[in-house]
Amino acid sequence: MNWFQRLLKTGRMETELDAELRFHFEAQVADKIQAGSTEAEARRATRIEFGGIHQVKEDCRESRGTLWLVSIAQDLRFGARILTKSPVFSVTSIVVLALGIGVSTLAFSLYNIMALQTIPVREPATVVRVERRSPENITPGVPYASIAYYRDNAKSLSAVMATMGSAPLVLNQEEKRVSATFVSSNYFSELGGSATAGRLFDAAQDDASSAPVCILSFRLWQRKFDGDPAIVGKTIRLGGKPATVIGVASEKFANLGTDSPDLWLPLLQHSYFVEGSKPLADPKFEGLIQMWGRLGPGVDRWSAEQELLALTNQLRKIYPSVIWDHEYIVVSPGARFFSFEGGPGAPPVLPIVGLLVFLILAVACANLGGLLMARGAGRQREIRLRFDLGARKLRVIRQLLTENLLLGLLGSMAALPLSYGALRLALVYSNAPAWMSALPDWRVFLFATAMGFVAALLFGLLPTLQMVRSKNNRSLWHQFVVCAQVGASCVLLILTGLLVRATLHTLYSDLGFAYEQVLAIDPGMSEHGFSPAQAQAYIDQFQNRLRAVPGVTFVSTARVPPLVNTMVMMTSIDVAGRRVMIYPNWVGPDFFQTMGIPLLRGHAFHNGEKNAVILSESLARKRWPGEDPIGKQWKNGKGVVVGVVGNTRAMELNNSDATEIYYPPNTDDLPSMSVVVRAAGDPNTVTPAIKAIAGSIHTGLYPTITRSRPGSERA
Amino acid sequence: MTYPSKFDLPQGTLDLLILRVVALGPVHGYAIAQRIQMISKDALQVQQGSLYPALHRLENKDYLTAEWGPTDTGREAKFYRLTAKGRTQLKTETESWGRLTEVVAMILHHPLGEPS
Repeated sequence: MNWFQRLLKTGRMETELDAELRFHFEAQVADKIQAGSTEAEARRATRIEFGGIHQVKEDCRESRGTLWLVSIAQDLRFGARILTKSPVFSVTSIVVLALGIGVSTLAFSLYNIMALQTIPVREPATVVRVERRSPENITPGVPYASIAYYRDNAKSLSAVMATMGSAPLVLNQEEKRVSATFVSSNYFSELGGSATAGRLFDAAQDDASSAPVCILSFRLWQRKFDGDPAIVGKTIRLGGKPATVIGVASEKFANLGTDSPDLWLPLLQHSYFVEGSKPLADPKFEGLIQMWGRLGPGVDRWSAEQELLALTNQLRKIYPSVIWDHEYIVVSPGARFFSFEGGPGAPPVLPIVGLLVFLILAVACANLGGLLMARGAGRQREIRLRFDLGARKLRVIRQLLTENLLLGLLGSMAALPLSYGALRLALVYSNAPAWMSALPDWRVFLFATAMGFVAALLFGLLPTLQMVRSKNNRSLWHQFVVCAQVGASCVLLILTGLLVRATLHTLYSDLGFAYEQVLAIDPGMSEHGFSPAQAQAYIDQFQNRLRAVPGVTFVSTARVPPLVNTMVMMTSIDVAGRRVMIYPNWVGPDFFQTMGIPLLRGHAFHNGEKNAVILSESLARKRWPGEDPIGKQWKNGKGVVVGVVGNTRAMELNNSDATEIYYPPNTDDLPSMSVVVRAAGDPNTVTPAIKAIAGSIHTGLYPTITRSRPGSERA
Repeated sequence: MTYPSKFDLPQGTLDLLILRVVALGPVHGYAIAQRIQMISKDALQVQQGSLYPALHRLENKDYLTAEWGPTDTGREAKFYRLTAKGRTQLKTETESWGRLTEVVAMILHHPLGEPS
């Protein structure tokens, strides 16, 4: 019989053991009777010789090697009995534990979905992301010329894909824009994507001059076209450009990276949809084209990096100005939703979240520990009795720890549905991709179970040791548990307070400008290939007509309208060795009046003023502490400071010390400008007038009108 | 005690004796104890407290295998038999026991080693 059979056939083995010993006993008695004793005498003598029959049995059981497991089962049964005897205590502890473990399980599940699970694409293990680095530069993008060169020459990659995000496009003439990603023609076939209707991109899209097409995401198809399969073959207008819908990607299709775009467009047709852009032809193109690859059979990431580095060095001869000094290539797993490998200086999110979650678990455990201690006093008599009956100390401790473990594991089991529910809600509310599932996988199960063990140790060890201690020295232990509990609770309370304070600060404190009555109008001129002169004419006409609208008090222009833009620009200067982050903006003359930003010193820009800058108060103070900044040179040739304005927190809501610099618009930036309007009353009352004016000036543009408010969508 | 054990058996020796007795043919636990006592002319008396755990240990190690069967008196008893593995074990154990006693005897009886 092997170990397992011995474990499973315990019952039969017990009967046999009993029969065997009984036979021995009877045989010995029979021998004694034969030797001349009476039966009663023989039995008595044999019984004395036999000694403790239970001890013999226990030794035989020990020799099976299964006793430890059987006794754990006994302990568990006993533990379960103890728990069912006091249901109120048991339910309370399980709920407390489920909350503590549930929070950590939820945090882990999120991390699991984002960073550990692979996204559902074909052969995810070989999908990689390719990025370029140098000691001075980090960028997620790779110039298209390099991508094409790698695609044609790299032997370690069996396929190369390229993707490129885009500014939101106007769909037909609707106000709400849609997000689009430009992808190479092999994108869907390489990732094993399937179409719910129509077909996906294929080799036909390798020809830049082929008819413009697009693929809808399942979500957009449902939202805008009611899931109508007849959309395939129809023409829609994106940013005013007609394109034929050739298919709808399936609901479960997983896009690479963190974007989940509303539709996909062929990368080779980029210059059709975004007029005047040359992402493919111009190797210095600044937009972000991301490179993805599939490792060839038997190739690992490091050998791919080696080969790509060699190819980069060849590329330097072809495009000397594009390749950086000491440039190298980083190949990382691509089929991950998000990677937590932040660059240097990135905040240590994981350790902080880990610590928070552990503190919550610790508080839950400390609470339960206190409860167990109180109960321990009541059980003292039971434990004393067991010792008196000859139980060994270690055996009793093991029994008590098994009870705690049972409680911990029950807590884990209760935590799983809790964290599942919370995660599901979170996924629904954050509009997560459809392939993300809140169902726990084996990693989450393992984690929750491990947390149950950890919790059992945290809450159970001290009360258990205190219970079996021979001297009754409760107060010291108790003080320790109470101290731990109060300490951890305080830390959590302080952190919660800080978070609430930060949120309130973001939502309700003074933003430094009056945003409530401001509308921003983005005509989208740059996407329609407007020249600077055309843009200037359009903006002038728009502003003049707007000023005549009743209810409009001020009109101006800005390249980055505060609180509405999805893109925020940032730059930095070094002041006495310290880096100061600055938000730049390019604004028209009446901008500060329109936004309600107070002019503190100097004057606002005049019409057509060049080589002038205006600083926010905080920037002026940081740059020239205690000096008058008016008339000083900002940077060589970058203009003279003509004014100082109040600080705003328009670009970074949670940073009241943010600094801004304002320039007059550059000629080249004119097509990217937005118009900002200040209304006297409710800004919504002037919206129809704005729409009418926009339609009458230029019929090809569909301006987006946004009311600025804190917390509007920003990236 | 009626039959005091005259020796303390060194660790593992009981296993060897059991293997040796069982090697003579299928036998139940009571008979094993009887035979050891008889062959040693009452010098060794095996207690049930050591005999049965040892038997079960040997069975779990696959040196012995057991079957239930009737005795001469018609009662059901558990009969132990040596397995092939047990036979090999008995051989090696016997040899190493022989060598050990030889060596121990050699040292104990060496004339120069005799304490004066």
